[in-house]
Amino acid sequence: MKLNTRMQVNRISNEVWEVPPSEKEGMLVPARIYATPAILQAMDAGVFEQVTNVACLPGIRRYALCMPDGHWGYGFPIGGVAAFDARSGIISPGGVGYDVNCGMRLIRTDLAREDVQPYLERLMTELFRRVPAGVGAGGFVQLNRSSFEQVMTNGARWCIEQGFGWHRDLEVIEEGGRIIGADPSKVSDQAVSRGINQLGTLGSGNHYLEVQVVSSDRIFDKETASAWGITGHDQIVVMVHCGSRGFGHQVASDYLKVFERAMQRYGIPVKDQQLACAPFESIEGQDYFSAMNCAANTAFANRQVITHQIREAFAAVLGRSAEEMGMELVYDVAHNIAKVERYPEGELVVHRKGSTRALGPGSPTLPPRYRMTGQPVICGGSMETGSYLLAGTEGAVRDTFASTMHGSGRTMSRAQAKKAVRGEQIQKQMKQRGIIVKAVSMSGLAEEAGFAYKNISEVVEAVDRAGITRTVAELRPIGNIKG
Amino acid sequence: MSHAFHFLDDVATADLAFDASGDSLQELFQGATCAVIDAMADPLTVGSMWQQTVERTDEDPAELLFDWLSDLVYWKDAAGVIFSRSELTLTRQDHGCWKLTGLLYGEPVNGSAQTLRADVKGITKHLYEVKQEGMRWHARVVVDV
Repeated sequence: MKLNTRMQVNRISNEVWEVPPSEKEGMLVPARIYATPAILQAMDAGVFEQVTNVACLPGIRRYALCMPDGHWGYGFPIGGVAAFDARSGIISPGGVGYDVNCGMRLIRTDLAREDVQPYLERLMTELFRRVPAGVGAGGFVQLNRSSFEQVMTNGARWCIEQGFGWHRDLEVIEEGGRIIGADPSKVSDQAVSRGINQLGTLGSGNHYLEVQVVSSDRIFDKETASAWGITGHDQIVVMVHCGSRGFGHQVASDYLKVFERAMQRYGIPVKDQQLACAPFESIEGQDYFSAMNCAANTAFANRQVITHQIREAFAAVLGRSAEEMGMELVYDVAHNIAKVERYPEGELVVHRKGSTRALGPGSPTLPPRYRMTGQPVICGGSMETGSYLLAGTEGAVRDTFASTMHGSGRTMSRAQAKKAVRGEQIQKQMKQRGIIVKAVSMSGLAEEAGFAYKNISEVVEAVDRAGITRTVAELRPIGNIKG
Repeated sequence: MSHAFHFLDDVATADLAFDASGDSLQELFQGATCAVIDAMADPLTVGSMWQQTVERTDEDPAELLFDWLSDLVYWKDAAGVIFSRSELTLTRQDHGCWKLTGLLYGEPVNGSAQTLRADVKGITKHLYEVKQEGMRWHARVVVDV
């Protein structure tokens, strides 16, 4: 099999591949890549280089991992997972990503496609108006420094107190929508200035809000889907993909600088400047963890305010209340984050960068109604091809620190995609296929063309066959909003 | 005196990368600044009613450029603006430090009047380099979008 690397890659199974520590000086553990043979062959050279760099970081346990949607990133590959001993290991902003708690949220409804189709154009226009997107977009929530600090510490809970959502939403958000340990004093004034006006905004790049349909023939696990309120029959659901916006980026940038200096003091060598890190228990490590949690909570709040706006938009266009339409939150989960979790080795700082937590059935961390099924894992595909809902498994807890894929993963650069197609052309083609797209930037739309991404069905197949998630349902787009 | 930039096809799968160059360090800074401005919006569609002066000093010109480009990202979010152009003056001070005085021009974001492009969220150190080859200065920059 021809791969984009000269390193030795051993087959563990048809979905798991391993680069042994002998392949790079300084590797402390093997690197494992989850992929079908076809996906592995197409993986860019950066994945092999970066995942083996991660395997050199102090305190790493078991393996440095990369999921099948993996591709080149900064420091860690996108799709990267690594767990470090909480006492002797490190924490790295490069293992979290710039967009702290970039994540996915899914809202179900009792509506069928036939209920929405006559109003779809109006609905997408209303959503586009209520959920600001694109470069420099500000939100409608007016915050001062004090109230923004409340957002940092209380996350989605702050939103519920302000009337942006329902109390029961919190039950189905990772960590209840608020991570304990966020300390606003560890956040720079610059980060606050960048984030204070952005609550309730989508951003740009690959972030989106999508109205989707679940048909009965695309439900693969009816029992689990039903437990999550996914019933098929051309059911309407709404997916949101966004994170902590400029605020999280500034936190990451600030601490990369702090860590560059700290590494010299702690004598930590790294293979790549973007892997800047500090001991987790050091002052710098703890400060970053506190600031990162502020950004993570802000991202939960961001998606909560957007959910409120989605419910308001549906109610305004369809003339019924969100409660009447059954617009319940299915789940909200991060895919760019570092968290302290307990495994047989002890407490580990699990970094997931473009990877979703995937807790299996029985996990006490899950809300009671999901303990039989395992955790919902929301995976966004390209705007042209659709998305998937998966369930966490015991296999993920055992093999991948309860982690799995997060999306389809890019195969083509943004610059190449823009040369291949125009945004207006994509918008027209998608309309002909029954998908209404509203975009702030036509060049941004071209960058997100379906052909720039891996086939998400193949990525889903890889994690399903590897046993780290179970496929529950496929979700097809009928309306999309992009920045 | 001239500067130039071009975006790269085969670097930074999910983000944007560019090479900038200039006949002098100041021209290099100007070229890289134009690239970041161009990544955010078509500068020909952006007015200049908003202005902001930024001053920075650093011994290392590469760090100075990195921080200056990060300033553009900061003001984009903090002031809710995008940019039409910039005026830069880069001088070497007696003690060896480089001093940059940058004047940014732009206006508040208005998608109906401006051709908006990517929301640049950060300047990264991935593949980042500033170097002199012959008489010309070059930089490679990957921006997170």
